[in-house]
Amino acid sequence: MTTVLKTEDLRKQFGQLTAVDDVSIEIDDDKITSIIGPNGAGKTTFYNLLTGVLEPTSGSIWLRSGEGDELADVTDAEPHEVAQAGLSRSYQITNIFEGLTVRENVRVARISHEGTRLDFRSRATGDESVEADVEELLELTGLTDIADTPCDTLSHGEKRTVEIALALAIEPNVFLMDEPTAGMNPTEVTEIVSLIRELDADLDATFVVTEHNMDVVTDISDRIVVLAEGSILADGAPEDVLTDERVTEAYLGSDSV
Amino acid sequence: MSATDTGGRVSRFGSAVAEGWTRERLGLLGAVALVLVAFAPPFQVYLFTDFLVVALFALGFNLLYGYTGLLSFGHGLFYAGGAYGIAIVLRDLGPVIADVVGAGISPLVTFVLGGVVGLALVVALAVPVGWLSVRLEEIYFALITLAFGMLGYSLIIQDPAGLTNGTDGVIVLLGTVDLGGFSLRIGGRRIYYAISAVTVVAAVYGVWRVVNSPFGTVCKAIRESPDRAAALGIDVSHHRWMTFIVSAAVVGIAGVLRAGLASVASPGLTHWSTSAIAVIATVIGGATYFYGPIVGAFIFLYIRWAISRFPALEAYWELFFGALLIAVVLFFKQGAVGGLLLLRDRLFGDGDADDAGSGGGGARDDGGQATAATDDGAESGDDNARADRGDNS
Ligand SMILES: Nc1ncnc2c1ncn2[C@@H]1O[C@H](COP(=O)(O)OP(=O)(O)OP(=O)(O)O)[C@@H](O)[C@H]1O
Ligand SMILES: [Mg+2]
Repeated sequence: MTTVLKTEDLRKQFGQLTAVDDVSIEIDDDKITSIIGPNGAGKTTFYNLLTGVLEPTSGSIWLRSGEGDELADVTDAEPHEVAQAGLSRSYQITNIFEGLTVRENVRVARISHEGTRLDFRSRATGDESVEADVEELLELTGLTDIADTPCDTLSHGEKRTVEIALALAIEPNVFLMDEPTAGMNPTEVTEIVSLIRELDADLDATFVVTEHNMDVVTDISDRIVVLAEGSILADGAPEDVLTDERVTEAYLGSDSV
Repeated sequence: MSATDTGGRVSRFGSAVAEGWTRERLGLLGAVALVLVAFAPPFQVYLFTDFLVVALFALGFNLLYGYTGLLSFGHGLFYAGGAYGIAIVLRDLGPVIADVVGAGISPLVTFVLGGVVGLALVVALAVPVGWLSVRLEEIYFALITLAFGMLGYSLIIQDPAGLTNGTDGVIVLLGTVDLGGFSLRIGGRRIYYAISAVTVVAAVYGVWRVVNSPFGTVCKAIRESPDRAAALGIDVSHHRWMTFIVSAAVVGIAGVLRAGLASVASPGLTHWSTSAIAVIATVIGGATYFYGPIVGAFIFLYIRWAISRFPALEAYWELFFGALLIAVVLFFKQGAVGGLLLLRDRLFGDGDADDAGSGGGGARDDGGQATAATDDGAESGDDNARADRGDNS
């Protein structure tokens, strides 16, 4: 077991509102960790801090970026630097390159990963190793059949899958998923859950998932962290956390369960 | 290319014909047209050269707008930069160069050197201006580029360094190459047309290569979603900066050609109303298509010319363009190219609604709203490229 991501007293205030309240957490590479909590608990804000989109009010963020066990301080890193250091994410509200095809989406991510984004002389489709990686990723995520479809014509479930393919294409050490099943119908939920399980088994990436669907949470999690009003309310194995009285209380009055 | 190889299904026939047209035949037709224009009456040669230069201006602008999602209202600055660069070299270095290389060949050497200096000047301008501008987005980007353009305008008019000759501008005399029995007036209508046509075709090909390169692919991704691109490790503001410089350089080449065509480098080139020409041509033609700005420039210049033939209407040509622009923005978000492709699909592509891959028209039909601006700009060329790949595999 190795720690791949760590925060120390991470805090974010929006004016008077403390969205993330001194969160200290260590993410281990041998577990799927779920971060749950009622609407407005601070889950997305926490992700935005980790990925450099928001600047923390205080605290620090550490990421394992290479092969070794040392963690690098990424507290002040820009989003693209964090991504290059090995932290990838998918969004709660689908965020893909809508006007491009599925294959072009994944290709962009591979170009970024290969570091050829400034190459203006070759053809984008001309790099065989990039193309092979793109095909492999499409295969892995089951997108091969719709590879040439423009993303703005895909179904919601397909877009959510492209979202995952994009995040994986940069070969992250840690993959933060923000409500992967948001807005999906039950069939799509089943599919995405089995995809996540498969990917977790096949890839080196460590998965961290926020999720409102409790069936999904119990299905995939090895560890559950409960956030409420920005701070950690409970943290541990699913059977312990889900029976915790404080947790059920935090969810009472919230219609999200 | 034999698009008909793709299965030979009847339902494919229409789009296969259309694809055959868009690629090689259109290319050949274009080449023939370019040659034929050289034999047109002098004014028509001039007008067509004018069109080529404005087309390159708009195409360079659109690298930043249609491909990367940044609307510059100050690209006149780089248009002027190229023009003043060559004009000043011709004026101040012409005599020196004549001493060095001999009077016979010196006009050509000076012209080429002027072009290179104009381009270098534009890049030197675009590096800091771009660096500052790409820190802003959307309307703020439009405003800061507008401000830089107008700053250039007042600097050229104030002329603190005594280089730009104020409001009169710098006269451009291209001279005559004279090698024994062979003499060539560079500024002659037809010669200058030939020079412009070769330069513009080469530059358009260069831009086409850029938009289809890994660099250009990343531009499109940034246009679609900058924060998503950043989350994949792309340094968005650096990439925008690089695109800004390439875009300015293309516009600079157009500016160099403009100086020779107009026989003067004048301050108006960096006035916002000149920057607006790139915007207008692009919107009329269709920002989401590679050839959109070129088609838009054609429409813009030829309609302006047609109107100018009726003195009674001439005073109102801006009004007319205002109306045309409103019509395009309201009813043809994809511009003239979008409209033409739609027409093509209506004529040839009907009854093959199941055949989503070949036409791509479906995506454009309903693309009137927000996604309109995000439609893949290279599609007009790309659709066919994709069909080609399909053939090969
Ligand atoms: N940019 C912002 N400016 C001000 N307040 C914000 C901002 N982003 C989030 N908040 C507030 O911070 C709190 C935490 O929001 P956040 O989106 O992180 O919650 P969440 O746990 O992801 O909720 P959900 O389950 O609904 O996605 C909320 O009260 C929200 O309104
Ligand atoms: Mg959220």
